[in-house]
Amino acid sequence: MSAALETATVPAITTEDDISEDFPHIKADQCLFLTLPSGNVKQITLKPDTKIPLGKFGTFKANALIGQPFGLTYQILNNSGDIKPVRNTALEDIESTEANNREIFDSKDAQKLTHEDIEKMKREFPDEADEESIIKKIIESHSSFEKKTEWSKAKYVQRKKKKFSKEFTPMRPTLYSVAEYFFERNPEKIGFLRVDTLAQILNFANVHAEARYLVVDDTQGLLISAVAERMGGYGQIMGIHDGLSSNYDVLRYHNFSKRVLDTISTLPWTMVDKDEPTSDGWVEFTEEEFEALTDREKINYTRRRKTVKRIEAARAILNEGGFDGLIVASQYLPMSILDRLLPFVAGSRPVVIYNINKEVLIDAFLHMRSSNEYVGVQMTESWLRRYQVLPGRTHPEMTTSAGGGYILSAYRTFDTPNPHLEASKSEEQSEAKKAKTSE
Amino acid sequence: MSFRKYKRYVEEGDVVAIHMGRDTLKAVTVVKDEIQSNKLGSFPHNDWIGREYGSKVYSKKGSFVYLLHPTPELWTLMLPHRTQILYLADISFISAYLELKPGSRMIESGTGSASFSHSIARTIAPTGHLFSFEYHEERANLARQEFKDHGLDDLITLTHRDVCKDGFGLSDTVNAVFLDLPAPWEAVESAKKAFKQHRTGKICTFSPCIEQVSKTVAALNEHKFVDITMFECLIRNQEVYSVKKLTVDHAIQNIRHMDARRKENKAKAKRSIDEVNEEEPVPVSVSPVDEDDIPDMTISRTRLEMKGHTSYLTFATFLPVEAGTAPAATE
Repeated sequence: MSAALETATVPAITTEDDISEDFPHIKADQCLFLTLPSGNVKQITLKPDTKIPLGKFGTFKANALIGQPFGLTYQILNNSGDIKPVRNTALEDIESTEANNREIFDSKDAQKLTHEDIEKMKREFPDEADEESIIKKIIESHSSFEKKTEWSKAKYVQRKKKKFSKEFTPMRPTLYSVAEYFFERNPEKIGFLRVDTLAQILNFANVHAEARYLVVDDTQGLLISAVAERMGGYGQIMGIHDGLSSNYDVLRYHNFSKRVLDTISTLPWTMVDKDEPTSDGWVEFTEEEFEALTDREKINYTRRRKTVKRIEAARAILNEGGFDGLIVASQYLPMSILDRLLPFVAGSRPVVIYNINKEVLIDAFLHMRSSNEYVGVQMTESWLRRYQVLPGRTHPEMTTSAGGGYILSAYRTFDTPNPHLEASKSEEQSEAKKAKTSE
Repeated sequence: MSFRKYKRYVEEGDVVAIHMGRDTLKAVTVVKDEIQSNKLGSFPHNDWIGREYGSKVYSKKGSFVYLLHPTPELWTLMLPHRTQILYLADISFISAYLELKPGSRMIESGTGSASFSHSIARTIAPTGHLFSFEYHEERANLARQEFKDHGLDDLITLTHRDVCKDGFGLSDTVNAVFLDLPAPWEAVESAKKAFKQHRTGKICTFSPCIEQVSKTVAALNEHKFVDITMFECLIRNQEVYSVKKLTVDHAIQNIRHMDARRKENKAKAKRSIDEVNEEEPVPVSVSPVDEDDIPDMTISRTRLEMKGHTSYLTFATFLPVEAGTAPAATE
């Protein structure tokens, strides 16, 4: 227990919560999710005085985006990287016509313009070769474009727009958008925790402001950042983690204010046991002893002291006990977690445990069902289906997630003894005593 | 008041959730000297006052109940149904999609039985506000009283109003709008005005029928909402059991046992007719399988019944008004 226990501190971009600000727009150094015309999402950090590259979609000046609202679509105007907001085309009203695909022959030769032709156009006439005129030219040289149905035409135009637009839409990182981003791109990092399951965990656990939660988060911080967002800077979160320092990487994607980040304390598993010493052989120096150190030693000592003080403070918070909930998303077997952490949970508070595999949960389920320390024990699984909603073309999406994991939840109770039995027992005992003494 | 903030100990006036076994719940307001009588027995309220939440309390005959702290989730399972209500699957998904958190300001219409309202108030407290609208006067009054009894009336403004006819009467106020109405498309225009105009907002409509969804989507599109999409979310329960690890070897042993028993009975019957016949072989007895010797295994399976449909959840994003958001000048 002597190695440096530094927390991975996440820098707070602001001291304000975005919900209480009057103009909660994009700030310098913020993490942003940019939705590109291809539908892909690119994650960037908006460093001032830099240019942000978006691959084939262009490059823009970071400074131009600072202070602008989230959610608008911005078009890159020129090679200098200036931008301006443009209308975000929602579903355009498309009327049916008589056209059908009977006389359309699928052939690569239908489109006369080649890739080289288009690149040439872009180079020779950079200002004219904007998105709309390129697409217009492509349509003009397509031999059977006119024969397509209106729907088919719209789809064709949309596909070309995806390839040639120089637009992006900055999305505000929230519980939902961050969870969705990771689930789509790197589900293993977050323990395959799907956003609907995450939302259910928060509700099962009654997560809210001005309460105190014990969290075991092996999803690299997705769970703890969701809890932090729902607490809004009011209350306390104690994260018990693997390893010497916590790995809550997902936290930094949220642009949390200092208030919100300050609610989070962390401790490694070793520090849960009251008898475990905080530090081995570390001694606090007096002022004279400190002055006697070399500059190098002073720096090391100060750093070490900071860590020890942080751990001591976190342990004090943990040992207060009486937490309002235990929320777990961990590879470790639930019983081993409950054995150590249940004593810190107040009565009637939720215990919520998530795992992508139900086998990890079933032994704990049986134990909790037969125990008087839990009621309302249940294990649930969520089913989520997304639909495309277009006029006349509404149907479920063609691809979907097959599984979102399992949640084991219960309320923590006490196995209070029956006072009536105790009373009658002691009555019996005193009757028996009386009888004996009178003999 | 116990709905507003977590408490450790039961106090007079609290609404307590009595857990009566087999996950049966009942909401009871704690009143000094009152007695809670139910199928399990009689439980005097005085026994509860000062007890820690989560404790067991007993009747004289030995039956018991648990005293649980009220939460919006428990309330959803206990509340008096005045209308069809929302359950946890939809409540939690909508709350996440609408980005609800402390400080959020939201419109809900209609209030109905206030299942969702309790959850919203909990999620946006202490600095947010819920503007809830109900067009049925009696339900509106009942809900308003309930919010007062539950200590939520500082967080929720309940208005009796037909929002499809008269709109919400709010402008530049909210971050999120939730519409659980027969014709939500009629309220879209007024909802649009209610959003804080300088930042993104989210809207959700809750409709059981696909035709309602189509009309709503058309209205959202007409009013320039973007990212229009729709979801269904359902929860199903898993049951977990302990079973014996039975194999075909056990089956064979049992058959042999039954066979041996039959032979033995035949021999017994024969012996009772003739005298003991030395030449007749004594059948070998084969013991049946003793289940206590067989190890257990834990298994799980999906419960047979699950909800098939609650409603379609249609979502869209309100975009900030472009006027007044001049692009930053070039360097």
